[in-house]
Amino acid sequence: MAQNKLRVLILDDEPIVCKRLKPSLEKLGFEVDTFTRSFEAMQAVEQARYDIIVTDLKMEGMDGMRFLQEAKKLHPETEVIVITGFATMETAKESFKKGVFDFIAKPFNLNEIQKVVLRAADKIKGAAG
Amino acid sequence: MLAALQKLWRKVFKPPEDLVAFPEVFEHFQELLQDHQKVMEIIADLGEKSGGDFIFDRKYLQDSVNELHVLLLQLIKGLNLISSNRYLDLYATLDRIFVPLEAELRGRLSLAAEMPLTVALKELPVDHPELSGGKAANLGEISQRLHLPVPDGFVITTRAYRTFLEQNRLESRTHALISAWLADETDTLHTSRQLQYGILAGVVPQEVAREIRRFTENVPFWAVRSSAYGEDGELSFAGLHESLLQVPARGVADAYKKVLASLFSPEALAYRRRMDMLGEEAAMGVLCQEVITSQASGVVHSLTLECPETDCLTIYAYPGLGRPVMDGRARPDRFIVARQAPHQVKSREVFPKEYIVRPAPGGGEEEVAPPPEDRDRAAIGFETIQTLAHWAMSLERYFKRPQEIEWAEGPAGQIWVLQSRPLAFSQIPDIPKVEVTRLHAQYPVLLQDQGVVAHAGVGSGKVFLVQSDADLGRFPDGAVLVTRYTAPWLARVVPQAAAIVSERGSPAGHLATIAREFRVPTLVGVEGATEVLKPGMEVTVDTNDRLVFAGRVQELLRYELMESTAFEDAAEFRLLRRILKRIGPLTLVDPQDPGFTPEGCRSVHDVIRFVHEKAVQELMDLPRFLKRFKGAQLWTLVSDIPIGLKIWDLGGGIGPEARGNEVTAAEITSQPLKTLWEGVCAPGVWSTEPIQVDFSGLMSSLTRTTEAATAAGFNLAVITGTYLNLHLRLGYHFNLVDARMDPDPHHNHIYFRFVGGVTDLTRRSRRAKLLADILSKYHFKVDTKGDLVIARILHLPQEDIRQRLLVLGRLIGFTRQLDMQLKSDEDVPVFTEKFLEGIQSQGDKEAP
Repeated sequence: MAQNKLRVLILDDEPIVCKRLKPSLEKLGFEVDTFTRSFEAMQAVEQARYDIIVTDLKMEGMDGMRFLQEAKKLHPETEVIVITGFATMETAKESFKKGVFDFIAKPFNLNEIQKVVLRAADKIKGAAG
Repeated sequence: MLAALQKLWRKVFKPPEDLVAFPEVFEHFQELLQDHQKVMEIIADLGEKSGGDFIFDRKYLQDSVNELHVLLLQLIKGLNLISSNRYLDLYATLDRIFVPLEAELRGRLSLAAEMPLTVALKELPVDHPELSGGKAANLGEISQRLHLPVPDGFVITTRAYRTFLEQNRLESRTHALISAWLADETDTLHTSRQLQYGILAGVVPQEVAREIRRFTENVPFWAVRSSAYGEDGELSFAGLHESLLQVPARGVADAYKKVLASLFSPEALAYRRRMDMLGEEAAMGVLCQEVITSQASGVVHSLTLECPETDCLTIYAYPGLGRPVMDGRARPDRFIVARQAPHQVKSREVFPKEYIVRPAPGGGEEEVAPPPEDRDRAAIGFETIQTLAHWAMSLERYFKRPQEIEWAEGPAGQIWVLQSRPLAFSQIPDIPKVEVTRLHAQYPVLLQDQGVVAHAGVGSGKVFLVQSDADLGRFPDGAVLVTRYTAPWLARVVPQAAAIVSERGSPAGHLATIAREFRVPTLVGVEGATEVLKPGMEVTVDTNDRLVFAGRVQELLRYELMESTAFEDAAEFRLLRRILKRIGPLTLVDPQDPGFTPEGCRSVHDVIRFVHEKAVQELMDLPRFLKRFKGAQLWTLVSDIPIGLKIWDLGGGIGPEARGNEVTAAEITSQPLKTLWEGVCAPGVWSTEPIQVDFSGLMSSLTRTTEAATAAGFNLAVITGTYLNLHLRLGYHFNLVDARMDPDPHHNHIYFRFVGGVTDLTRRSRRAKLLADILSKYHFKVDTKGDLVIARILHLPQEDIRQRLLVLGRLIGFTRQLDMQLKSDEDVPVFTEKFLEGIQSQGDKEAP
């Protein structure tokens, strides 16, 4: 059972986002790792393959956009979900071109993101089966 | 001098007031209403976000505050345009509210001069642990939110600590000593000694010393405890900092220095270095409390892992003062008790007591042998065990973590909470991860994906259905409150509830706000909840996932308690709550109150309330109004009810078929006005029978006639298709209704104000009571003061607003002459019944 779990990486520099998202996705049966710094997330992605990445777009240090490009280069089959501020719709659209699964605007509620992650999971399982 | 002359000149030769022309007023007023609505929505939105269901960031808070600021500037500008600049003071009010708000967002407020040097525990602001330190902040919440007895006292804040460092010129010295130590240039012991010496040799700032004297003058002995920022939070500094007991009042200032110095004890320094906490500056709050001379004391662990298969807590107790147990020298009695009520005692171990500690006759403590009959007797009785178990569960429900609670029983048997902190387990228990799909297979799902989250969390208990306030007295502790409406009078039982499920209501409503204050998991807007959740049924409510399971889902409850973080304690949520406190509360309720001024506004909500009220008043100012509205289309309502209502339609309120300047009820398309009028015109409501007046009623009616008559005679409704603002003067009664009735419940509200009457104040107050009773039955939040009644309700669906406007219409008719008839207090319930019967006889639709 456990080896079938999909692995999710969450990257957001606001700790509260990670704290709230992790248990809510774990409850749905995902294995979740969270990061608030992009270089640490980058290291994790280099070492292991994640099925789904949830990342914020604007952060200090490495930009979320660059992180998702790098991550996609390493593992093209990883589905990426982008969290973005309400006002940064345009940037979000731009990121769509780079193969983003979906994006979600802050503030959002837990149910919304659960649904998006489950859709991504369905796509992955569909592709595998 | 010149300015003074000019002022005088202006006073004597006041220029004629230039009235703003009608089309402009019209436009400003419309904009004002729209901005008012937008502000209300942002306030509601912020409230909803504080319930834990949403993920937001600082940017969202910043944007919301900025948007509010812009809207309020517009509102104030609008009011001043309508009123020829008579409310310019409001700009200063706005600064007073927004400057600290913005400082708060930048994280600068904690050290601002606004913060006190000392503060009584009872008045300690919640959500400011950086002001008081963790331990004191906890106790403040326990006493103010949970209302558990906590020994009286006060906090010397972290601001006082900073002042102490400043005045004794210790800041740079401290910094240099610590830097040298971190660079391994000096050893720990030496550094500690230097730092501590600096503090102990320092002088307590005069203003702090004065306040300490003021607080301590009437109580002989004090406990002076450390309350460092971060202590009792995620990191435990337990035992690292000094706590001094039995300190005489004169010695508190010295004890204060000793506790401050313990911030730099070798152990504390080493610990903070290990925890990587030296980067941020340490700050020490100090908690001073009256000493409880205990006949027994001890500790409760709200969850015991020794017998995981049974759901139990442990109580440790020892007679006398707490010292023997704290020092670990004596073996306390141990009781293992069921966590669920009635807290059955599963096992008790009573050990012989070799000695006890009690206050020595000349001050201090002494060790003595206990009286022989007490040696083998349990330290506490059944009642105390019950109380402690009950409190432990309340504390755990509130703090969302297993708790370690220090308690003491006073000589008269009164029990006190001395401290509550997260329980640290010696071995980390292995809590299996919970997966929703697995739970679905094991427990029947009663409700799923319904309603809106007002507060996130998990709670379990037996369903208790509340239908009227008479049910409240029987509400059992730890039950799941199920209700059709989120009536404000439910607030009383919220702290006792394990969870709340309501069929109606919104996450911005009054009850949702209270539920968040007490951290009770709450779902609102769950259609049909009362049909599925039957009284007495055991259920588990998981509002994180909007699920209600049948039965007690132990694994989910345990997982929540042990594993997931309590979002309520996250810095972002604390910040949101602090911000909301400056935005959301409405304190300016009564426009007749002398405090109803720009200076009296304490929150954003107050300001918009004030602006709205004054804008409407501006329109209602009769002589100005007539001058100004020459040429404006004012309709007159033609009706059997002789009210002479004038109607000003801002758009969509009057049907296109209306001609001339008269309109019939059928031609009104403003939903709220149409509905209210339907209520006024309901058969039997507008009583035309002559009313018997007794002598005293008549006398006072005569004396009041003159003053009332001068202001009478102007009834106006300002309407749109979905909005109504109605000023109605009926005889000596003054009614104000402000309502919106929109397809989106979030836009809807009713505000109703009723004042006046011809009889004496006692009778008018009786009528106020009667109105309050009836309106409460319809779930209004009602405030009364003398003969003034103010009722509010928010965010109900159109149909529910309709029902209530019909009732208001009836009430307006019903109470028209009522105060004459309310001869004694006993008449109030009689007439309440009569009114409700009148509604019931018309069919069930309007009944509460």
